[in-house]
Amino acid sequence: MDIDDILREVDPVSHQIPQETRDLQDLTRAWVAERSTPELLPWPSNGLFERINDKIKRQIEKVEEMTGDMDPKTNFALIVIQTELERFKYLVRSFLRTRIAKIDKHLLHYISNDNLRTRMSQIEEAYARRHQLLLHNHYLNSFLGTFPPAMQNLNDTAGNISMIDSPDLDSAVFIRLLRDAEIECHGVDVDGVLTGKEGDIVILRWSDAKGLVEKGDAELV
Amino acid sequence: MPMYGDLGNKLVQHAKRTQNLSHLPPYQTELVRAVAREIRDLDKDVASLLEPFQGSFDPSAEQATACTLLVNHLSMRRNKRCLLAYHRIRTDKLEELVWNGADILDLAGQTTGGPKGVTEGNEGGGTTSSLSPQEEDYFRQFGDLLALYKGQWTDIDLTGSLEPPRDLFIDVRVLKDAGEIQTEYGAINLTKNSQFYVRQGDVERLIVQGYLQKLG
Repeated sequence: MDIDDILREVDPVSHQIPQETRDLQDLTRAWVAERSTPELLPWPSNGLFERINDKIKRQIEKVEEMTGDMDPKTNFALIVIQTELERFKYLVRSFLRTRIAKIDKHLLHYISNDNLRTRMSQIEEAYARRHQLLLHNHYLNSFLGTFPPAMQNLNDTAGNISMIDSPDLDSAVFIRLLRDAEIECHGVDVDGVLTGKEGDIVILRWSDAKGLVEKGDAELV
Repeated sequence: MPMYGDLGNKLVQHAKRTQNLSHLPPYQTELVRAVAREIRDLDKDVASLLEPFQGSFDPSAEQATACTLLVNHLSMRRNKRCLLAYHRIRTDKLEELVWNGADILDLAGQTTGGPKGVTEGNEGGGTTSSLSPQEEDYFRQFGDLLALYKGQWTDIDLTGSLEPPRDLFIDVRVLKDAGEIQTEYGAINLTKNSQFYVRQGDVERLIVQGYLQKLG
């Protein structure tokens, strides 16, 4: 985005929302959602990140081009663009780091289930597999290698205890309703149904909120 | 009298303590070996208990033996989990260090600077590191993995600050001489105790490495 785009945005005449603005909104939304849910959310598959990446690249080039210019006017524009660029980079960085942290925490959980595996981007999946391999080798070299062969696995479920740790889907999230909806919630003692109005903000378990968010009835805040 | 699982418990306590420390305490080589040995001993016990039955063991007929077997099995699995937990907590710490840009040499230096260990000039010994050799390998390999992943996102600098950026320019004070750096506004010579108004992106790494302190 260039300074003209910013000016066009505040200009009340042009009302249609350009793709670039929508991308920023999508990115911000994805970032907020990823940060507040206990489990990994599906990787945005609509090419959002390819577009944003391109844009960051273009802006970096633009900044380099403009840096040589000593005109005070360009200088001001340069600062605006650089500030925007830093913010964009922060959003993407924080988003990616949040995802990696979740993947790292429950590596086997995400790798060993086909359904969950598709939530990762290709790069993330490659990273996760490699990381798991490193960990397994490290365990093997440190102690696992001296175990009886039957005990060298990392995914046994003997004695009804799964060795694969998984995220706590019952932890709490805040959601905002985008349209009126019935909310089914499961409590410790009692379950209840709540009639929610558009704009209501509710705190509930992620396992109960998930359906609403996926249907588009609500968004995470 | 020591019981099954005592050693594993010790390991878990070590792990618990490690969680709250800023540095990585020495690797418990002996303890890890002892716990692994306990597993092998238990496995042998199980095998010798089952041997006379030739594969036709009936738990309801031999309840006492069945009970022993069960206890042995559970103790083995518990020990395994203790070992896994201990190692995972340490690798988590190591990964955190890699993310923060630590160097394997920094880690070696860390132990020599410890409370008792004023053992300078001991680099050749290799006994001062708080990492096991396997952990050092892991540290390096994870560093490579991270570099690979970061390489896919070169424009973003994944290891950059996770604080939301407020200002493009910030005030910094120089804590240690860092030499000259190049910025788009020319070169700045960072000498100790001087203060600068610079672009955050230019000095981020130096702040993380402790050369500069962000003011205000």
